[in-house]
Amino acid sequence: MERGSSYPNAADTSAAAVPEETTLSIVQQRFKADETVHLIFEAYQIKGREHFEGLLTLVSSSSGGTYAIISFSLLRTPLTGSNDLKINKVFPINTSFKLTTDNKGSKTEQQFELCTDDDRPSQYCYHPIRTELGSDEFNEFCAEIDSCKRTMWDGGSPSEAVLNFRWLDDYREIGEVKQELKKRESEYIVYKDIVIYCATWNVNNRPCWDNKNTLRPWLACGEKAPDIYAIGLQELETTAKAMLNGNQMQMYATQWVRKILENLHNGVEYEELQSVRLYGIMLIIIVRKQLRQHIVRCRVNSVARGVFKTLGNKGGVAVSFQLNEANICFVNSHLAAHMGNVAERNDDYKAIDMSMRFEENGLQLRTINDHDHIFWLGDLNYRIQEPIGQQRPGPMSDAQTFELMLQFDQLRMEMSYDRCFKGYTEGEIKFAPTYKYDVGTDTYDTGEKQRAPAYCDRVLWKGKRIEQLEYNGVMEIRESDHKPVYAIFRVKIKTRDDYKYKMVLSEVLKAVDKRENDSQPQIITDRPIIEFGLVRFNEPVIRDFNVYNDCSQQVDFKFKVKDLPNDICEKWLHVDPRSDSLMIDSARSIRVRMLADANSVTGLLKKICSTSDRCDFDILILHVRSGRDIFITVTGEYQPSCFGLSMETMCRTERPIGEYTLTEIKELMLDVTPMYRVPMPREYFLLIDYLHKQSGQLKGIFQSYDRCQPLSSQFNAVRDWLDTWSDDKFPGTPQTAAEALLLLLDLPEQALLEPFVDDLLATRSKADAERYIDLLSEPKRNVFKHLCLFLCEGIERGDYDANNIATIFGRVLLRSSKCNVTIDYHSRCSEFMQRFIRIENPDTVVGGNGLSSASLQT
Amino acid sequence: MTAAPYNYNYIFKYIIIGDMGVGKSCLLHQFTEKKFMANCPHTIGVEFGTRIIEVDDKKIKLQIWDTAGQERFRAVTRSYYRGAAGALMVYDITRRSTYNHLSSWLTDTRNLTNPSTVIFLIGNKSDLESTREVTYEEAKEFADENGLMFLEASAMTGQNVEEAFLETARKIYQNIQEGRLDLNASESGVQHRPSQPSRPSLSSEATHAKDQCSC
Repeated sequence: MERGSSYPNAADTSAAAVPEETTLSIVQQRFKADETVHLIFEAYQIKGREHFEGLLTLVSSSSGGTYAIISFSLLRTPLTGSNDLKINKVFPINTSFKLTTDNKGSKTEQQFELCTDDDRPSQYCYHPIRTELGSDEFNEFCAEIDSCKRTMWDGGSPSEAVLNFRWLDDYREIGEVKQELKKRESEYIVYKDIVIYCATWNVNNRPCWDNKNTLRPWLACGEKAPDIYAIGLQELETTAKAMLNGNQMQMYATQWVRKILENLHNGVEYEELQSVRLYGIMLIIIVRKQLRQHIVRCRVNSVARGVFKTLGNKGGVAVSFQLNEANICFVNSHLAAHMGNVAERNDDYKAIDMSMRFEENGLQLRTINDHDHIFWLGDLNYRIQEPIGQQRPGPMSDAQTFELMLQFDQLRMEMSYDRCFKGYTEGEIKFAPTYKYDVGTDTYDTGEKQRAPAYCDRVLWKGKRIEQLEYNGVMEIRESDHKPVYAIFRVKIKTRDDYKYKMVLSEVLKAVDKRENDSQPQIITDRPIIEFGLVRFNEPVIRDFNVYNDCSQQVDFKFKVKDLPNDICEKWLHVDPRSDSLMIDSARSIRVRMLADANSVTGLLKKICSTSDRCDFDILILHVRSGRDIFITVTGEYQPSCFGLSMETMCRTERPIGEYTLTEIKELMLDVTPMYRVPMPREYFLLIDYLHKQSGQLKGIFQSYDRCQPLSSQFNAVRDWLDTWSDDKFPGTPQTAAEALLLLLDLPEQALLEPFVDDLLATRSKADAERYIDLLSEPKRNVFKHLCLFLCEGIERGDYDANNIATIFGRVLLRSSKCNVTIDYHSRCSEFMQRFIRIENPDTVVGGNGLSSASLQT
Repeated sequence: MTAAPYNYNYIFKYIIIGDMGVGKSCLLHQFTEKKFMANCPHTIGVEFGTRIIEVDDKKIKLQIWDTAGQERFRAVTRSYYRGAAGALMVYDITRRSTYNHLSSWLTDTRNLTNPSTVIFLIGNKSDLESTREVTYEEAKEFADENGLMFLEASAMTGQNVEEAFLETARKIYQNIQEGRLDLNASESGVQHRPSQPSRPSLSSEATHAKDQCSC
């Protein structure tokens, strides 16, 4: 675990004269300047049987004011740079963030889960290490997270909307196409001029919609017809009774909209886009009809202030929408009144600015400041606070006087101290104070209070590409004690050029495709063909090949399981490892072992026979996760041996099997004519003959047989002796010969007594059985009869036990091809054999002239 | 906020099959990179390429599996047919043998894919007119008899390459629209990705926004 240097207990930095980069400094490079990595905790993840090294980093953003855990996986260890880090998950530490431990781990491996938002929890593991102070690193990690929560939430649990995690969006996977389009925005974005008319009027309870008086001097005053009207009204009604009558207020609102629509610029078709009202504070957005189709995501909200800071007689309403590619926000607010309440006005502003939110994807996410163009208008109620005793300078009609008065304008002063409307601009004021007039006149308050004139009604803006064209008060409208104010702006609206956009989009798609195609994880192999050369029965051969990761990311590979043989490779092969991960620039050796032995030779021969051309031993599918598959051809030449061949095939040979090529043997194997060169295989005969001559040394040679057991050390010499029809002395012991004999009988695909095994097992007498035996192919029949004769002799001599022989040979000769055999199968096999090896009248035995004279000549 | 929008609405899986050397990888390369890949090595395995295309204003990601054509790999490549929405069956118009083997490729395709899989026959190397061994008419007749879509194309010049891939996609998309392809079937070769537009295009969202506005 590493801590950020901002942490008070940071490791001794003075000793760190070594320029070597620490993990922390590498990780920090992945973040922006205002984001700090506080802590790194090494944790790994387990997927299947693989471990993936990773780092959990606790990061804060000073602009967002929030903390998050970002999980990295390591593409290379040790880290050489920040490119070796790949973000795999982002966990904002919000109210749904959870860290849970299961306490089920061992001393060397502990687990915990991180979970945030709606995602499934992610599991991490770590090796517990105790520090000198006795606490372990994991506990410190948890403690640090808790301390972050305290920092952010300060005790209470905040509403999700208050925590700003937008900075994390940069670390989340967002659509590549979207990201790329954003980058190339300048190529298809154009700026279109639109005219926005903003106005505000405190109507002071005067329902002037019910008279015929025109509002045109106010609403239709500009030279150019606006594209958007944003009209803010305050004090539609101020009596508590009326304010609480929703229907009545709604009626007022409707009437106001109607009245306003009737008094707009002539010659342009307008429609109401949206209105929003908080008691007497109302904002009406009206747009040109043609503009309507370019507006999306229109949202409204309000923030109530006033009595108890919540009642809503003061406060703000706002409308947010997107026009083409620009986000626009209008705010109408009525802030705290009276000369002395500057701080309250500032507070009202701040409250509205802070808590106004607009819905986005079901969440209240967008703030006022998340807009490209913001217009804030309303009765802001800031007054002219002239020093006591100062004479009001002359008549209040000329620009000079206004300028003098504005020196004492509270709003300007507060703004200059950054106490409110930070970042907002207001145009030059060249009109008379808009408050307070005797209704129906242009005369300032002559009433009891003699309120000082003030610029209560203002229009401010914030954002790029906004140009104010006009800013004025309208004296001719006299219904209220306020004069209406308006401001006209020319705004350059970010707009997508559809043609250019299509071009860029197609290029982006192409680039993304190319990148995706080029960045496919891939490995190369030094040998797509594994050549085993000559492979002989029961002789394992090993070949190694290498796979190398030459792409720029970690690669996981595995050998694909094939439908046939439902494994990654054939039975005669063994591949190790079957899967692995390769970091960048690393290689791995893969070992393939080939062994045609008792368990696999039959399958191999069958495959050879069923392939029309030269047969490969196998084709392995080397699969790279989310990448291509490479076929690894495993090939070689199998040296045919008598082991695994059928009696019939062996009887077709005219020279030792070792002298045949595989192709020739294949021909013999595929031959189905009943034409044999010898009555029984010479290889079989050679073994029996040898054993026969060893009489006296055969005790216990058939004691046990299991084809899965490794063969004796002399076996391969015996194999060659048989495959060459050697005249040399038998190269093994009687034991080896017995082993070879059993294998010779056992290995062929078909058991010796097939296709009559089931029939034979059903017979009750030797005579019955012999009828089937006579139906066997000539080689099989001869081998069987000859074998029985040989066994009988041995039993007679007392070399071996009849029961034992019956069991072993019964199982081999009557080997069932079925998966499920009956419970009494083995005993029935044994019984069957007993009938044939029981010592009876020697005259019944074939030929009657003994073994030694059995002839192999046709 | 958490779910990132996908780059596309559908994924279609294609396979490219045919004898060795007919130009399968070159066709794929020409389609994804718009370039001819000279001296293309034999594919030893199965490679894949992707490209996002637009059909009917829907973004479709084509996931194209290019298989090895060597006969020795035939048994292994059969396992890749499963779940293909489109099969591009390629022969070389200058090598009659590659055309003669089509029926065997077609048998494999029919046996190993589902009935709605769109099979597109491509006679590649149409730029080599002088050494042509298979006439357009003959192949067209074969395609018609077997209900295949058909074009002669050239991975070298790019002629008809785009068309073959896009026509296949249009046909698959049409099958979806007409309900002939069950998207829920795991073997359909099509994945649907309802996209989640957070900054929607203006034209398509305008009517939508109007409803939201009257809240």
